[in-house]
Amino acid sequence: MSLSKALAVIAVVVLGPYDIQLHNTPRTPNAHGAARLVFAESPFGVAVTADGHASYDVQLTVSGLPEPATLGAYKAYVAWGVTTDLKQWRRLGTVANGSSTVGRVEYNKFMLVIAAESDSAVVKHAGPVVLSGTSPSSFLQMFLAHPMFRGVAP
Amino acid sequence: MRRQLVIATLTALAAFAASVRAQDPGVSVVDFDKKKGGSQKIHELGHVVAHDGAWKAADVELEQDRNRPYAYLCGFVNFDFTIYDLSNPSAPKQLFRWQIDNPELHRGIGAMDGKYFKINGRYYYAQSLQFMQGTPDADLGAVIFDVTGLPDPSKVKEVARIRYPQSPGGFHNTFAYKHSDGRALYFATINQSKALVYDLEKIVKGADPATALVGEVPNPTPFRQIGGGGYHDFYVGYDPATGQDKFYGAGLGGYSVWDVTKPETPKQLFTITSLGMDVAHTFTPSPDGRYAVTETEYQYTPLRIWDLEAGQSGKTQNVDIPISAWTADWRDLSHNHEVRWPYVFVSAYEDGLQVFNLKDPKHPVTEGHFYTCGCEHEHGFGGNPDNGWQSTTSVEQGAFGVDVRNYDGLVVLSDMRSGFWVFKMDGFTGWNGHDYNMPNISSVQDWDHGPEKAKPKVTSE
Repeated sequence: MSLSKALAVIAVVVLGPYDIQLHNTPRTPNAHGAARLVFAESPFGVAVTADGHASYDVQLTVSGLPEPATLGAYKAYVAWGVTTDLKQWRRLGTVANGSSTVGRVEYNKFMLVIAAESDSAVVKHAGPVVLSGTSPSSFLQMFLAHPMFRGVAP
Repeated sequence: MRRQLVIATLTALAAFAASVRAQDPGVSVVDFDKKKGGSQKIHELGHVVAHDGAWKAADVELEQDRNRPYAYLCGFVNFDFTIYDLSNPSAPKQLFRWQIDNPELHRGIGAMDGKYFKINGRYYYAQSLQFMQGTPDADLGAVIFDVTGLPDPSKVKEVARIRYPQSPGGFHNTFAYKHSDGRALYFATINQSKALVYDLEKIVKGADPATALVGEVPNPTPFRQIGGGGYHDFYVGYDPATGQDKFYGAGLGGYSVWDVTKPETPKQLFTITSLGMDVAHTFTPSPDGRYAVTETEYQYTPLRIWDLEAGQSGKTQNVDIPISAWTADWRDLSHNHEVRWPYVFVSAYEDGLQVFNLKDPKHPVTEGHFYTCGCEHEHGFGGNPDNGWQSTTSVEQGAFGVDVRNYDGLVVLSDMRSGFWVFKMDGFTGWNGHDYNMPNISSVQDWDHGPEKAKPKVTSE
């Protein structure tokens, strides 16, 4: 195993229950990133919406993103909170290489998607996805659903 | 004179060894780096790499009507399927490719198994899919397309999606079956200890899949160590001797045979359980249901051959001793198979296409082979998407699926590493069970007339 692969494995292992590993796409094979969910500012220890959903800000650490224009007619990278059926896309904020905080996201289960967009102020997603990950709440699943217990894929 | 006899004998043995390279008794294994090309009887007609990445394909499906020379290649982790026109088998022509929307946001093993079927004169193709929970479409089991308009790709239309949110993870294997009662049924594996049975006519007419779910077949052999486990694969066939539609399921814990003449209320007939059978994978009977070929999904295991007579006749509830076994190479693993009695066509992972003969079920004999993987031993499928599904121990790579066209004997094979292949075998110009004193029953369905009934039901006055 190469050093970079070993570091990648370690990075996954150290991810905590509020962390999201971001996966690149064929358009951006050198992009890497991770996110941490932190409770949004609140007078209480845990921030929730009026209907009881947890309210998070998202701390992002990203590297390897090329200039958006290298992917086409794009000017910025925008982070989106997306329901897992891809029907609701909520703009979280702009993203660049390095650290940034965007928010808020208030879904129970969601995907964190970073896409190149035509403008930094867009409110509707349209550009190519460059990084994505799933919220830790999405990892919960039936024991039997684990691939190990499925008759051994493929 | 004696010396000449010895030389002649050795020459004959050498010739035999050259033509039969699988692990028949007395035959040595082939060095891994020499697994190239094929035996004299197997001829490569066509090959398409299909995809750019490390993983090219999962299963493969052939249409069976003479005027429809179409093959369907499941794109596996590429999350797509491709339709090829085999009018010229030496030059498969890509007609159509479908891919799940937003593929970059999906994670899973994707497009696994494909089955075509026909209802009221229209042809359909069902693509099974598997996506991980937490990513889009984790509840999506299959997408159904109307493919009647082929070869015009613009006439291929999606007509339905089957979702089963009660058990995320999709459908791994499926079987489309023309039931003796006239219905076109779709059997599907799920992440629960049962198989689902859908009425396909209801599905293509737009019914809610929940209302088209007409039956469930339990897995009676749960893997006790983990407290459960579902089916991995199955075959469904009509038994002319009993007038029953029978389900042959392979799942965690073993194999089971069910009477699904009334799929709403399946009745268990018998099982195959024994040591080493826990990871039961594939279960294919002979046309008359007397014998069966089974696979268990772990390295070093052979395909086992069973005499099912005691189970089919009700003399026993469980069969536990195979009558023989066959392997392409004891160091590897053979995967899916199609029975065209007495031949068994095997997609044998690292050992490519293999064909063996069960004319004497107690002594399987290799008919021929063609290596398609071109891969490094034990560097097969494993891990997860983040490491490119790459393992350094797995032999799960190479020939994944195989299908046989009954009217002319054309063989297609899907290889996880090398894509789509087309073959012919000398002396195999088609298959009809009657030529071998068997019912004309195989995985191929007669969508217009239903299963052949060797003993038509007699109604009394």
